[in-house]
Amino acid sequence: MNATVAVRGLTKKYGRNLVLDGLTLEFGRGVTGLLGPNGAGKTTLLRSLATTLAPDGGEVRALGLDPADRGQRTDLRRRLGYLPQDPGFYPHFTLFELIEYVAILKEMTDRRERHREVRRVLEEVGLSDRAKTKVRKLSGGMKQRLALAQALLGEPDLLILDEPTVGLDPEQRMRFRALVSRLGENRTVLLSTHQTEDVAALCERVIVMKGGRAVFQGTPRELAAAASGRIWICDAPPGDSRLFWRTADGRYRVLGDPPPGASPATPTVEDGYLLVLGEPFGAAE
Amino acid sequence: MNRPWHLPEDLIERYVTGRLEPAQVLSVESHLARCEPCRAAVPYEREWLAASWERIEDLVDRPRARPVARLLRRFGVPGHVATLLVATPALARGWLVAVTAVTAFAVAAAHLVGRDPAAAFDGLLPFLVAAPVLPLAGIAVAYGPRVDPVHETQAATPLAGARVLLLRALAVLVTAMALTGAATPLLPGPPGLTTAWLLPALALTATTLALSTWFPPPVSAAVLIVAWLGAVLASTELAGDGLALFSPAAQVVYGLAVAALVPLVYLRRARFDPGESR
Ligand SMILES: Nc1ncnc2c1ncn2[C@@H]1O[C@H](COP(=O)(O)OP(=O)(O)OP(=O)(O)O)[C@@H](O)[C@H]1O
Ligand SMILES: [Mg+2]
Repeated sequence: MNATVAVRGLTKKYGRNLVLDGLTLEFGRGVTGLLGPNGAGKTTLLRSLATTLAPDGGEVRALGLDPADRGQRTDLRRRLGYLPQDPGFYPHFTLFELIEYVAILKEMTDRRERHREVRRVLEEVGLSDRAKTKVRKLSGGMKQRLALAQALLGEPDLLILDEPTVGLDPEQRMRFRALVSRLGENRTVLLSTHQTEDVAALCERVIVMKGGRAVFQGTPRELAAAASGRIWICDAPPGDSRLFWRTADGRYRVLGDPPPGASPATPTVEDGYLLVLGEPFGAAE
Repeated sequence: MNRPWHLPEDLIERYVTGRLEPAQVLSVESHLARCEPCRAAVPYEREWLAASWERIEDLVDRPRARPVARLLRRFGVPGHVATLLVATPALARGWLVAVTAVTAFAVAAAHLVGRDPAAAFDGLLPFLVAAPVLPLAGIAVAYGPRVDPVHETQAATPLAGARVLLLRALAVLVTAMALTGAATPLLPGPPGLTTAWLLPALALTATTLALSTWFPPPVSAAVLIVAWLGAVLASTELAGDGLALFSPAAQVVYGLAVAALVPLVYLRRARFDPGESR
């Protein structure tokens, strides 16, 4: 793999809270998924890559550029599309005006070219028929698509998407997957998500973060394989603290050591993710 | 008999690539409708179709610019800069109303107090004190993660940081100056005194921007507003002369401050960038 983005020893502190703890990782073209519990530092990493936050220490190279250097940072911004976790809008703007505003910030000074690009990205996310609607009249999922549209402006080489599928209905989620996998053919896409299905369906690579470090890097298949021999199906609930849940067919799915009478099950990306995190699941501290 | 006229090649070329004015397009098309040889000379291609369709789409679909943007364009501001400025949160919110109200109250106060000839100059004080504060309040709500919902998105674009901040600060300053400037002729008193707010306004704005290379703009603006009001209070209470802050000597100081701070802000402008380490 040819890495287009490499992060070495990245640190970031908020007060005494060490949010990135010597984070080291790399990824290349294609779609990379970023998983991790709440507070793991995913957004902090994505903001560092998107140049909206300066880390305290460590090194970032994105598309061969160093965001710590002013000139290179601007060059990187010219080739970057970024969907923040909580994208805000000017509610009194129309969709067209809002996207056009970001297009201007992306230095598209020729009006006709800019308008063509605005229409193109609205089309990509299926909002072109709403171009003249005010942003405040959109539903949550539509706002999310609008935020995605601005990230697509100028066909960026590096796309940083922070929880892009939040709030999308199933049909839009499929459209999103189709769009992003197409983009991933010749670009670098990094998306954070809590949806392991997104990762399984869409990502060539997956990175799992916990407590400001990368605890796994590999393919989704490898992540699932991390749980092989640890996933079991049995008819009665195991009488101990192993993680288990009752599935739709009334049987029990157990993570960890096999309970008596259990048969092995094929692990999913989600199983692998939970096992890579270790216990207690999801705790970031 | 007239020799039939045909479209010259370069005209066809420009028509095909969509580089003609609408009036020219009309006449070319009316000729094409009558002239088979010219029609044959026009390459009927997808590219051409796409280009013409796009022109039409652009004409029909182009959103109407906001009135403020249109006004700015009339003053020679390029279209994309006008659109940028219209998004300034300060200009879209209550700040404009506040500026107008404060200015109106201060003018009214000047007239009320001014009826007593002995206190005529003191009556100007509220206006002179308020006018320099107004742009600071505007700058405080013009830029940054707390006041601008699009800040995080904007911070990842090539124009992030100094360019957007300074552009907005300038827009706020010009707007405030225009509004207070328009009220100045309504004030009772000699022009030398009624315009005495001008240099303090510029100096305080420059100081706010300079401080904002260290602290967030709202903090810088708040500190300076407090400092300015404190100075006014001190000069009226201690020196017994509220207008001392507007004396010719003081004006020289404001002028020097502007001259020193504007280059400082320019040199430190990279500090406005959210991606710059502090
Ligand atoms: N601006 C800030 N000031 C102080 N602390 C912050 C700030 N931003 C993030 N943090 C802290 O940094 C830690 C990591 O936050 P981050 O947003 O990177 O997590 P995340 O992995 O994106 O979580 P989530 O899945 O909830 O989005 C959290 O403990 C959070 O409280
Ligand atoms: Mg996050």
